[in-house]
This record gives sequence, C-alpha cells and structure tokens, in this order.
Amino acid sequence: MSITVTAEIRRFDPSRDSEPRYDRFQVTGAENMRVLDVIRSIYEEQAGDLAFQFACRIGRCGTCAVRVNGTPVLACQERCKSHMRIEPLTPFPVLRDLVIDRSEIEERYAGLALAPSRETAHPGRPEPIDPKLAEHICHLDSCLACMVCVSACPAVEERPFDGPAFMLKLRQMAEHPADRTDRLQQAVGAGMLECFGCDVCTQLCPADLSPAQAIREFRKELLFGGRG
Amino acid sequence: MKPQLEMAIEQTDVLIAGSGAAGMRAAIAAHDAGANVIVLAKGPRRANHTRMSGGRYNAVSGLNRKDSTDAFFRDTLDSGAGINNYELTKILAEEAMDRAYDLEEYGLTWDRTAQTQYYLSMTGGGSFVRTMGSVDEGIGITEVMLHQLHARGIKILDFHMLAEVIQDDSGRVAGGLVLDLSRGVWHYFSCAAVVIATGGTSQLYETSSGPIINTGDGIAIALRAGAELVDIEFMQFIPISFVYPPSARGYTLTEPAHYGMRHFDPQGEPAHLLNNKGERFVLKHDPVRREGSTRDVLARAIMLEILEGRGTPEGGVLMIPDPRVFESFLKERPIYVKRLLENYGEGEARLEAPIQVMPSALYTLGGVRIDAWCRTNVPGLLVGGEAAGGVHGANRLGGSSMPDIQVFGRRAGMAAAEEARTVGVESARGLEKARARAEQLEAGLRQPDGVRPPEVKKRIQKLMWDHVGLVRSGPKLEETLRAFRDTREHVLPSLKVTNRSRILNREWMEALELENLLDIAEAMASASLLRKETRGAFYRTDFPETDPEWTANICVQRQGRNLRLDKRPVATLEAAKPNHSLFAAAGAR
Repeated sequence: MSITVTAEIRRFDPSRDSEPRYDRFQVTGAENMRVLDVIRSIYEEQAGDLAFQFACRIGRCGTCAVRVNGTPVLACQERCKSHMRIEPLTPFPVLRDLVIDRSEIEERYAGLALAPSRETAHPGRPEPIDPKLAEHICHLDSCLACMVCVSACPAVEERPFDGPAFMLKLRQMAEHPADRTDRLQQAVGAGMLECFGCDVCTQLCPADLSPAQAIREFRKELLFGGRG
Repeated sequence: MKPQLEMAIEQTDVLIAGSGAAGMRAAIAAHDAGANVIVLAKGPRRANHTRMSGGRYNAVSGLNRKDSTDAFFRDTLDSGAGINNYELTKILAEEAMDRAYDLEEYGLTWDRTAQTQYYLSMTGGGSFVRTMGSVDEGIGITEVMLHQLHARGIKILDFHMLAEVIQDDSGRVAGGLVLDLSRGVWHYFSCAAVVIATGGTSQLYETSSGPIINTGDGIAIALRAGAELVDIEFMQFIPISFVYPPSARGYTLTEPAHYGMRHFDPQGEPAHLLNNKGERFVLKHDPVRREGSTRDVLARAIMLEILEGRGTPEGGVLMIPDPRVFESFLKERPIYVKRLLENYGEGEARLEAPIQVMPSALYTLGGVRIDAWCRTNVPGLLVGGEAAGGVHGANRLGGSSMPDIQVFGRRAGMAAAEEARTVGVESARGLEKARARAEQLEAGLRQPDGVRPPEVKKRIQKLMWDHVGLVRSGPKLEETLRAFRDTREHVLPSLKVTNRSRILNREWMEALELENLLDIAEAMASASLLRKETRGAFYRTDFPETDPEWTANICVQRQGRNLRLDKRPVATLEAAKPNHSLFAAAGAR
C-alpha cells in the first residue's frame, strides 16, 4: 500500500535569510514509511538544497531528531502522518533548515564530567559489580543523547533546568560503584528540582528509558539520604 | 584577479579523522602519550558505525578455561581463510582483553552472571564461548569513550570532513585539508601525523547495514596519498538483516546462532533457514556447521537462493527462530526485539513466527595496509579500525570488530604521538598544496548543469551490489570496471550541485564522497578480477573453488591515474619482524 503525504518543512539559512519560511512538499511512498524516508525523498527528488541530518536510520545515532506537528521525535523511527509540519528541534540554535547546532549540548555533557571519577585505578581484571546493577547502568548508558526529551520538557522551557537527558546521565554515574563525585549535588545544580514530574520525557524517549525515574531516584536520595 | 579561497589555518600534533571507537581510542592514546589531538567527525560526533554495532566483543577473559589466546588466534585465521596478517591477528587475540578492561575503566559495565564473572556467549564462526557484551551495545561503548575524550579536553570538531591528506615533497604527511560542512569553510591543519579512522565503505552497496557516512573517505584518501591497500576485494556481508520496510532494509539482525539454542551452547542448534520450498538450503553449502556456519557461507547461500528464484516475494528467505531463547534474547538484545516488533510484528518479535531475512553489506575486510603500529607506507599516515586491512583476512568472526577498533585504535594513537614527538609539526607546511586542492574541490559548486550526486551514487551502489557483491564473475567485473571508468571520465566532471548555500550542503558533500566511493569501487573490482578463486567472503562463479595458489594477498597502489596490483605472499609470523623496541611497554597495560 502506498500513500501520499504532505510535509511542510521549516526552511532557514542564517547566511541568506532574514526569517524562516515553510516549504510544502508532497511525497508518495510505502504506507509504513518513516518521517526520515519522506525527508530523504524530498532531498532526492524535489529540494536538493534541503539541510537535514541522519546517519544510522535505525534509532541508534540519535542525530535525526526533529519536531513533527510540534512533537519532538526521531525522524527515522516516527511513522509518517498525512499532514506533517516538520521543524528543527527546539530550543537549540539552528545551523540551517532542520539541523541544529549541538555545540552547547556537548559542552553541557563535558561540563558534567560523566566519566567515573575513580579513587583507585581499575584493577585490570573484572571489576566487582553486581550483575543486576551492571545491567541497570547499561540501560542508563543506552541514552541516545537525541535531545527529544529536552525539547519536550515543559520545565526546560520555563525554568533554569538543563533537561531530563542530563539527569539520566548523572544518575548513571550516581549508580556506578566506582564513581566518587557527588552526582546529586550536580543534578540539583543543573536544575533537577525544577522538574514538574510530568513524565513527558519518559513517554517520548525513543530508547524506552525513563529520565523521570532517574529524577525520582535523585529526589528520594535527597530526602532519605544516598547510598551507604 | 581571482580572490583567494578562504582557509582557516590551525596546527596540532595529531589529526584524527573519524569519531567512532577507533578514532576515539586513538585520541585517548595519543593524548595520554602527550600529544595535542584534534578529532574530526563528518557529522555530529555520535553519528558513527560503532554506535550501530551490537557491541559484542571477542576476548579471552580466562573465564572459559577451555579457551585460550592461541585458540582465538586460530579461530580468526580459520575464519580469515589463512590470508590474515598473522602478526595483526596475534595482536588482536593478545590485547583484546586488556582493551575490554579499558572500556570497563571508562565506565562500561559488561554483562555479568556474578560480580566478577562476565556473561559469555557464542558468535558466528567462533569455536569457543568467548564473546562478551553489554545491554547498551555500541551505544554504550561510544558513550563511555566520548566522556573520556571530554574528561581529557580533547577537541572534537563536528561536521568536519577530511578531504585530503597533504604531503610535503618527500611524501611525508604535512597536514590535513578539511571542509567544515556546517559553515562551508575550508580548514588546513598542519600536523605531524594523520590517523585515518573513518571506517568502511558499506555505502558502496545498494543494501547495507552501516551509517550513511561510511563512504570510505579515509581509505580513498590514503590510496591517493600513495598508501597501499590490502585485501580490498573482500567485503563482509551480514547474512541476516531486515528485508522491509524500506528504511530498515539491510539493518542487521545478527546471526542465526542467536535465534536458536546455539546461542548458549556450541553444540546447540542455530535457527534454521528455509527457502520458499521449505528446504534447509544451507545444508548444501556447509553440512557440518549448518546454520552455525561462518557469515560468508551463510550470506552467499542466502543470496544464491534469492538470485535463483527461491526467495520470498519481498526478496529474502525465512529464518525459523527458537522461542526458547526469547527471554534471554530480550534481556541481551532488547533493541532487536523492539525492531522486530516495529518492522515485522509480534509473532516475529516473540521468536514464534518465521522472520524474513536477507544479506547486507556490513564490514570492509580489506583496507589500508598497516604494520603492527598502524603505520602505512606513507610517513606520518596511520590507519586504525575498519579502514585498515589485514586483521581479519578473507572473513571476520562475529564479535571481532569491537576488539579490533579498540586494540588498533590505541596502537594508531600511540604511534601517532610518537611520530609527533620525533618529527614535530611545521606551521603551515603544505598550505599551498592544500589551497590548490580545495580550489579543485569547489568545482562542483560552479557547475552550471550536469548530474546530481545522489543519482550517480545510486548507479554505483547498484553496480557494486549486482557485480562486486556476494556473487562475482570475470565478465561482469570487466563490464563494471568499464562503467566505473566511464563514470570517472564523463560523469564526475559534470557533477552538479543545485544547492547554492555553503552551509550543510549535502549535494556538495556527496560530490566529494563520490570521488572516494569511485576510487575504492575501482580498486575492489580490479582486485576481484585478479583473484581467480573463491575464498572466505569472496565468491567468483567462474572460479568457485579455493585455490591454494591464492593463499596470498593482493595489494593495490595508485600510480599516476592507474592502479598497480601486486600478488604477495601472506605475512605469516615467520615473515613478520615485530618492531616492539619503539614501544617496549605497549603490550602491557
């Protein structure tokens, strides 16, 4: 089954345009095609000057996130809709069209020092870690850094809060048995207490993770004390 | 007078192209050895092939008493059909575990069955239970490494594409010409060493598993700089990948071993593969190992069924999974379960219904010829990871790319730092050559009419899939080579970029990539024509048997506009003269 969809794409070239515009395209393709398939088709058939970003097309690199009808999604994972307004991820600066500048995002990650700060060097043989805990840390470490949750977070929009993705990474470090940094304090410093607890981050996470749960764990730690 | 091209000039000890695990590991090693390092990422830094990997990692951990470094070495040689560079293979077997501990030090928590007992399983081709893994897969590996780069303050430049390595008159590396795609501005980095870690060439094929960025840039750049390629005719195809929907076609599903009881036990049964007549066609090709055979045998067997009309209407064959492995599969490979559910349906995701599968271009086995320290025959040019050749020979064990990129990424970084220490950097040396080359690469932007790069790319991908893929023959290879030459002479000069913006100009980037793709396509087809036999991942219908005369490597080097192909004896351990003196402590942690 094939369908025809209409996509309105936000176009903006800071080197040439004074303000953004929306270009309308029609694309025909497989019924279960993804938003990325629509964008790629537009580039290949209709607008060779469209700027867009993707790499893995399978939900792993986390670099193709856009807003579709106002909701942040991974373009490669989201099924197309009959009418779509496709825009770059907010609230980030735009390089051109659908591609955001991630410099500030990377600076924020770097600033949080997300490598385990070890008191003693790694033993050079299997480090003792409880298997369940190891699995839990791995789950937290599978965050794509796609910024879907940060873009969707109402607290990020209104308050001084870095966003859910960063809380998740801090939680990963807090759970790591070798890490000696006070991650709770970092989380509070990054605005963790501003979270409304709305769970939108968890609902939209393309990697099926729960930043909201990470925040709840930190809050529990704040109220009842941390790991012994 | 024509205005001079704008060019930002910078300097560093070591310039690393590629932000996957090989590039990041090289950066860590070079930095820790005292060098200034800059890492170039063609896209955002997380857009790399390692990220897409299942992250399974072969290493002799000592936890399976029956296994040994020697057994890993021999398995790798067996799988590689005896044409591996023995020294590189030995280094892989010996150092894989130390690099796995490095990753644990970085924060990766390998799957465990007890506090200090890693969870081990089998992969395609291995004869012992030795493969480690973690639930966060390639994503986890790249994340923990990225934060190590952050911790060291290593500069990573997103959207910076290496366009050419610039050499001085003696042939030594002087720097790297780089296009900042995000602004459309040229950069010239003077440096003592360039590390190529740009990965493979899977984008040469119509159906491939890797990311869109894997256009073999670094391999082609090294070839143009005078480096030798080795085993470039060998391309690994993953036998088991998605058939539909279109966006997922070619994405890997790992191997039948994981969908059957062989997942736990070398004697267990892997998932069966059936054609549209319900026949277990793999038995014709490998009656002993059956569907537990190596990737090359399985991929070729499936492709032949499809080509000979015994596939499904969608162009695949059927894999019959064993529902008994579902629970552990869900735990270990949750991403695959999710993809099965989204792309196929619940029955398939629960491993209760037949799963349609097809082969897909996965891993570039050949690449730039390197020594034990990732040095090429071009002074100052180092290559690590998938862009290098020789480690895996004619076929690669499942689970061996992850240790490869760690082990050789680190070695490349150490050797690059050593190069910087002994040679030093000369500011702006090579700048004029860089400027001249950049001028040439601007040509596409000024072309009034012609063909758009995406169209040419599709033509090359189709030719490669049809004739330089799983099934090859002399006449078709000759025909394809003529088509490539025609493309080079008549199409490349008339590539048209319709986009008038310099910022993130995808057409322009694709035009640059096309030259790289075509350079490697020609090298692959030429070497394929020379190798008159069938071996490992390489299959010629006109020479279907393995010929002991061809237990040899083909090396490819550019001479002017032509390629020179040399048949060379395999570098066995007797032939190798390990140069350990430079880095006495290198093998140790």
